[in-house]
Formats: sequence, structure tokens, C-alpha cells
Amino acid sequence: MKNKSPKNLVVNVKNLEVFFKKKQIINNVSFQVYKGEIIGLFGISGAGKTTIIRVLTCQIKKKHWKGIVTVTNITPGKKQNNSKILEKIGYVPQLELLNLYYDLSPLVNVEIFASNYGIKKDNALKIARDLFKILDIPEDTWNNPLKNLSGGEKKRVSMAIGLIHKPSVLFLDEPTTGVDANKRYDILNYLKKLNRKLGTTMFIITHDLEAALVCDKTAILREGKLLEFDTPYKLISSLASDGQLVRFTIENLDEKIIKKIKQYPLCKDISRTGNNVIEVFIQDLEQNYSNLIEYIINNNIKIISMSRDIANFRRYFQLRIKEEEEKEFKEK
Amino acid sequence: MQQNLRKKLKTQLFRILKMIKKEFRLIKIDPWNLLIALLIPPGIILLFAFMTEEAGDPAPLPVIVVSNDSNTFINPNNYTSSTWDNYTIPYLKAVNKSNLLDLKGYYNSTNEPYSMEMARQELLIGNINTIIVIPIEFTELLQLGYPGIIECIIDSSRVSKIQDNINAVYDSIQIFVRDNNLSPQFELKVFEKFSVPSNYNLGLNANFIKLLPLMVFGIANVLTILVIVKENPISRLLLTPVKKSEILLSKYITYSAVLLVQDLGIISAALASGLYIRGSIFELFGAIYIIGYSGISMGLFISSLSKSKTEANQLFFASFIIIILLSGLFVPLGSMPIYLNLFAQILPLSHANPLVNSVLSKGNSIFEYHFYVLLFVSLALNIITFLVFYKRRYEV
Ligand SMILES: Nc1ncnc2c1ncn2[C@@H]1O[C@H](COP(=O)(O)OP(=O)(O)OP(=O)(O)O)[C@@H](O)[C@H]1O
Ligand SMILES: [Mg+2]
Repeated sequence: MKNKSPKNLVVNVKNLEVFFKKKQIINNVSFQVYKGEIIGLFGISGAGKTTIIRVLTCQIKKKHWKGIVTVTNITPGKKQNNSKILEKIGYVPQLELLNLYYDLSPLVNVEIFASNYGIKKDNALKIARDLFKILDIPEDTWNNPLKNLSGGEKKRVSMAIGLIHKPSVLFLDEPTTGVDANKRYDILNYLKKLNRKLGTTMFIITHDLEAALVCDKTAILREGKLLEFDTPYKLISSLASDGQLVRFTIENLDEKIIKKIKQYPLCKDISRTGNNVIEVFIQDLEQNYSNLIEYIINNNIKIISMSRDIANFRRYFQLRIKEEEEKEFKEK
Repeated sequence: MQQNLRKKLKTQLFRILKMIKKEFRLIKIDPWNLLIALLIPPGIILLFAFMTEEAGDPAPLPVIVVSNDSNTFINPNNYTSSTWDNYTIPYLKAVNKSNLLDLKGYYNSTNEPYSMEMARQELLIGNINTIIVIPIEFTELLQLGYPGIIECIIDSSRVSKIQDNINAVYDSIQIFVRDNNLSPQFELKVFEKFSVPSNYNLGLNANFIKLLPLMVFGIANVLTILVIVKENPISRLLLTPVKKSEILLSKYITYSAVLLVQDLGIISAALASGLYIRGSIFELFGAIYIIGYSGISMGLFISSLSKSKTEANQLFFASFIIIILLSGLFVPLGSMPIYLNLFAQILPLSHANPLVNSVLSKGNSIFEYHFYVLLFVSLALNIITFLVFYKRRYEV
């Protein structure tokens, strides 16, 4: 599996703080990323995801941040360092509209961007063809103006351009937003495929909690603080009963009923996931499962159906953010 | 160490060349601008070649009067000498009174041995159209009852202006005769300077000077005002090792190359339609080139400053109107209030006309005041553009 020797350390962030005009945007963030990992950076809007990536990609002046940061063993900040880092990383921005030459073809776009890394035309086109094939970009579009491609195709061309110089790390900002629901999984699968074939370390900023499926590690940010940084599996297992839950569909579900169930002594958490649906986490689910059902029935609550499941990352994320909000509320 | 540097320069050069290639690709997407830039100026010249008359303007003609009247005159009949000059001042008053003349200066060659040279210099620069010379025997002839003589040297590079000049000088003579109750018999000796030889296209020369600078400057402006602001992918380019300076430099190089082609077209069209170039053709080329370059500099400056295409267009219109109005084409710089005049001095177009005029019809070298001002203004704009572009924030 992934080798955690210092040699394979691709990104190292220690006690990172970012200030804009005295306002602290990032608060004491530390994490390490090793070669070949896919990192998902999650957090609600304004959490500071883009800001962290912008530090790593040399877009924020050194005077705005403190702490130890290395990307491919080089510290961003100084001009020469920045250009060395930029040679080794790739960036796939959120909006193709603003970041590609729309009137030129995918191959010409590749040629332009590749030339900045000193890659000659023939070589660039060869690499591009390989990438386009991996990404299933239809061959008859390669020489058409980019604006005629579909949204998903543009996104994939943009990814190919980010990978044209075989970077050690690829940063992707919201790779699945603006792509329709079933294509989102395609994009994520392509990323996984590229990661396996090329061994590229990847950073994915996203609101799409489904993306955790392809991530080796997930980072959860809230108001500039890094709450968690671990494998999604480990994070989910940290929930009560290793993340196992019971899902009930209940007739005439309302706040009163939820409150009642919450009063069950071993209940850890409840989240309402549908009009009539709740998911309940309790301590030691295995032993207390039937006990819970008894409690519910005894309270004259009518269960329509029920099932057992393991929490997904979305559920974990919601609970974790809620926990943090409650903690903050108590402190005040 | 040195090898490292060489390698670095080599990759830098590679990137710049590729960026230039990119610029040409972007131009090719929308070739109309380029076609306009390359075809309109020669086209207009060819059109104007058929137009022989230039439109005259009724403004008073600037003159300098040089008087030799008080020098010692030796009468060739009886070898008596005299230094009479009683009529000098009355004549000067007449010049001043004439609505057709604008007396820019008066030199008395008795006190100022280089009077004639100084006046000729002014004619060469284009500050005046005519030198009126009061001959040595002026007062003597009039006192003794002979017809008076006035000489004048006229800038005849603008054909239609010759007669205007002569008429204006006659006007001063008529006023002089009337005011001093003299006999109206008078002799006017005219010397023409800077004439366009008659086998060339006289009208074209005049129009060329008026139209070309405006056209070249304006087109270079239009060609470049959107070049930076509309290139969105710059923000992503900047996340590759390419430098801002390389991106901007390649734009200057690309559009300078376009200018070269444009100038070749202009010069060819001008020669084909019979333009008379008193100076060297290369210097005329240089003059047109520096005017175009100042246009590019202005255009890229506007582009680097603007946040959107609309803003670039608005800035272009605002600046272009000011530059034209204060260029001296409509209102002579000299008749502007001092603060406007000073401001006009740093606008490129104010120097473009005099420069072309000087090279084309006076045969001067381009390396004179107006050239250096244009060069200086362009370079200053270039530096500011680089600074603005460096400060400009690009975010992905
Ligand atoms: N240049 C800046 N100057 C001042 N404040 C800034 C600057 N850039 C970002 N911020 C602030 O920092 C905070 C974090 O911004 P950031 O863009 O990192 O959020 P994000 O997690 O990427 O959000 P989103 O999901 O909406 O993209 C925001 O409150 C934002 O207003
Ligand atoms: Mg963001």
C-alpha cells in the first residue's frame, strides 16, 4: 500500500495560519499527504478550503501566512521556489469557461499549456492522446473548438491539461459541480483511474460528499479549523457502534416523536433523512437493537419499516459538523 | 552556474516563442481586426490619391519678419550709402494688423547677424509658414518714390497653401500702402521652399500628413485594447511556470510584428500612388512605426487597466477622444490655454503629425524632438502597463 516514509511525503502542512487584513482565515491546520493518495477536502462554504489550496499552489503571498508548508519538499513563498513548485503541480480550476481557450481545440489548448513546461509539441500531443483516451474524450472532438464540447467533456479536457506535464500533485477545485448527477460518478471514477495509472497524488476540493468514495483520506474543515483528517472508513467507525445505524420509516413523523426517541437512554444521535425517515445511532447496537424497537413501540410510535445500515460519509460529515456547532454553542 | 543560466534562458525563450505563437492563434480566431489593421491604411491612401485638393483652413498664417532695412545700403548709381529704415516699423504694424497673418517674430539683421538662419530654422520645424524679408533698400526706394519691394520665402510643401500665403503677404502690403499713403505699386518676390515636385501627387502629400498618424495610432489602439482583458485563461497560465513578464512581452512582440507588416503596406501604397518623400523612406517608415507603437502601448495600457471588455471599450473611447481633440489637428496647440497645452504635449498624437510632416515634407531626420517624445511616452506607458499587469490579480 502507500508508503509513509519521509521520502514519499508530497505535501506537509504544519501549524498553518492564514490572515487577511488581521482576520484569521485558517487556524493552526496540520496534515501530511503521501505519494499517490487522493485527499478530499470537505467543508461548508467559507470554511477555507480554497484558501489552503491557494497556499499550496503559491497563490497567496508569504506575508499572509505562517507555519511550515512544503509541497514536493519546496516551501512556497519565494519566487524561485514558486516556479519550481509550479513545475511539479497541476491545477484543474472550477470553471473551464474562464480557464481554457474556448475558441481553440482541445489539442491546441494542450499544446499551449504544455509549452509552458518546456514540453515540445509532438511530445505534448502524444501525452494528450493517451490522456484523452483514458478519459474517453471522443476522438472526433479533439480538433474542434472547445466550446462545441459538452460540459463533462470540457471538464475532462481540463483534467487532461492539468496532467499534461505528469505532475506529482494535482489540485482539483470542485471537479463535479456543474456536471449532472450520473456524470459525477464518471468524473470521480476517471480521477481514480488516473490516480491508479499515473500514481498522481490528488487534492479534491468539493461540496459533493459522495466524492469521499474515491478518497484515501478526507479532511473536514470548519471555520478555518481542521476537524478531522483520516480515511473515511476510520472516521465513520469512530461513530457509536462503529457507524452502524438503524433506519426507521415512521408514520406521521414529527419533532415530538423525534424528541421522544432521543430520550431513549442509549441513543447517541438521530438524523432525519426524509419526510418520514430517521436514522438512529445507539450505543452497542448489537445488544440493544431489540430494546430500542421495544421502546419505540411502547411509546405508541408506529413503525412502517426499518433496516440496518452503516453510515455513509455524508451522515458522518453532518454529525461531525453538528457536534462542533453544539460544542461551540455550549462554550458560549 | 553559467550552464544553469543558459538553460534557464533557453526555456524562457522557448516559452516566449510559444506564447507568441499563441497570440497569433488568438488573432486568427477573429481575423477581422487584423485585416482592418493591415488593409484600411493602404486602402485609404489609395483612395485619397485620387483626391488632389486638400481642405484649407482659414486660420491666420504664422510668419516671421526679418528686416535688412537698417543695414548700410550703397546706391549702385552714385555709391552714396544710407541706413534709412523709417518704413520698417510701419510695415511691421501692417503685418500685425492683417487678419491673414500671425506675426510670430521679428528679427532685425543689423542687430542680429543670424536672423535669417533663425527664421529658416523655424520654417524647417514647421512653426511658421512664411518668412517675410524686408530688403535693405526698402525705405530708400519708397522715400525716393520707387515701387517698394518685399520678399518672402514660403513653405510650399502644402501646395494649396502657397497661394494663401502669397495672398496673406499681399494683404499686409495693401494695409501698409493704405495706412502710409504710398503709391500702390509694389513688387513681391516669392521664393518657394520644400515644394513637392510637380510629377508627384501634390494632394496626397498634404492629406497623408493629416490622416495617416491618426489612422495608424487609432488602429493600433483598437487592435490591442482587448488583448489582455479578454484572455481569461491567463489566470490558469499563471499556475504553470510561465511568468507574467513572458506573457506580456510576447504580446508586445506579436503586435510589433503586425505593425511591421502594416507599415510595409502603407509605404507601398503611398509610393504606388505618388507620395513625395523629401526625407529618407526608412525614416518615414520609422516615423509611422513609432506612431503605431505608441498606439499599441496605449492599447495594451488600457487593456491592462480594464476589468472587463466594456470597461476597455469605454476607456478607449474616452481616451481617444481626448487624444484627438488635443492633438493639434483641430485646435492648434499654441492657441490652447497653457495647462491644456502642457497636457497635450504628453499625448502621442500631438507629436505624430509634426513628426510625419518633418520627415515627409521637410526632409528632416526622424531623430528629433517629436520622435523622442513619442518614444518616451511609449516606454513610459510600457513600464506602467507592466506594473499594472504585475499588480493585476488573477485567481482561478
Ligand atoms: N483575499 C481575501 N481577503 C479577505 N478574505 C478572504 C480572502 N480570500 C478568502 N477570504 C475569506 O476567507 C474565508 C474562506 O474562504 P475560502 O475561499 O477558502 O472558502 P471555501 O471553503 O473555499 O468556500 P467555498 O466552498 O464557498 O469555495 C471566507 O470567509 C472568505 O471570505
Ligand atoms: Mg472555494
